[in-house]
Amino acid sequence: MNFVEMFFDWLLTFDKTTLISAASAIGAGLAMIAGIGPGVGQGYAAGKGAEAVGLNPKGAKQSTMIMLLGAAVAETSGILSLVVAIILLYGNPIIDLPGASIILAASAIGAGFSMIAGIGPGIGQGYAAGKATESVGRRPKLYSSIVRTMFLGQAVAQTTGIYALIIALVLMFANPFIQ
Amino acid sequence: MDGTDLIKACSAIGAGLAMIAGIGPGIGQGYAAGKGAEGVGRQPEAQGDIVRTMLLGAAVAETTGIYGLIVALILLFANPFLPR
Repeated sequence: MNFVEMFFDWLLTFDKTTLISAASAIGAGLAMIAGIGPGVGQGYAAGKGAEAVGLNPKGAKQSTMIMLLGAAVAETSGILSLVVAIILLYGNPIIDLPGASIILAASAIGAGFSMIAGIGPGIGQGYAAGKATESVGRRPKLYSSIVRTMFLGQAVAQTTGIYALIIALVLMFANPFIQ
Repeated sequence: MDGTDLIKACSAIGAGLAMIAGIGPGIGQGYAAGKGAEGVGRQPEAQGDIVRTMLLGAAVAETTGIYGLIVALILLFANPFLPR
């Protein structure tokens, strides 16, 4: 008997709620890894903000404003991951589902894995926020059109994060593996 | 080994995984600090404004690290899966 079979047999000696709870704990931790993205992105925006204020101290207000706006958008993937982790911890819909415990446990881990995708939008939107801050610092008069372009780009960058959220929600609330 | 032990073991793994998020704020805030230093070096008279903007942005970048910490602390000290 190989090691993998032994491992699964050992896992199945636990009752269903225990196994799913344990998997949800791992899933919640995995989901939070997405926090890397907003952290890097917002930090980039903050750096560009400091640079823009240094180059053009008169436009400090506008530079700071657009930096915060862009950083707020970059935050979304972090918040979505936090929501998934909190659902897994406190409103776990998987525990009450009928079906094989190993599938449900794996779904909880999978939901967490899926949210790691939030790294991408977080970094990308933060980069957009940083570049927009740089531009506003250089030409504060173009503030409104720069903000519009930044939001448009960030909305597109958000899509993959939304896909990940959809998959996590499907695994938690509409699991196709459970008939 | 009973069920509670498995949940505790997996919660320990989960808490560790959640803290990986700290990579991001570390990189980002480091970049901000670097740019802040660059800005002050170029325009020392604007130091107050530059540091304020840098700290504001770094505070926003910190949030996801704090979220990870909260989830890890919940898993460690207020684990909802363990019987009271």
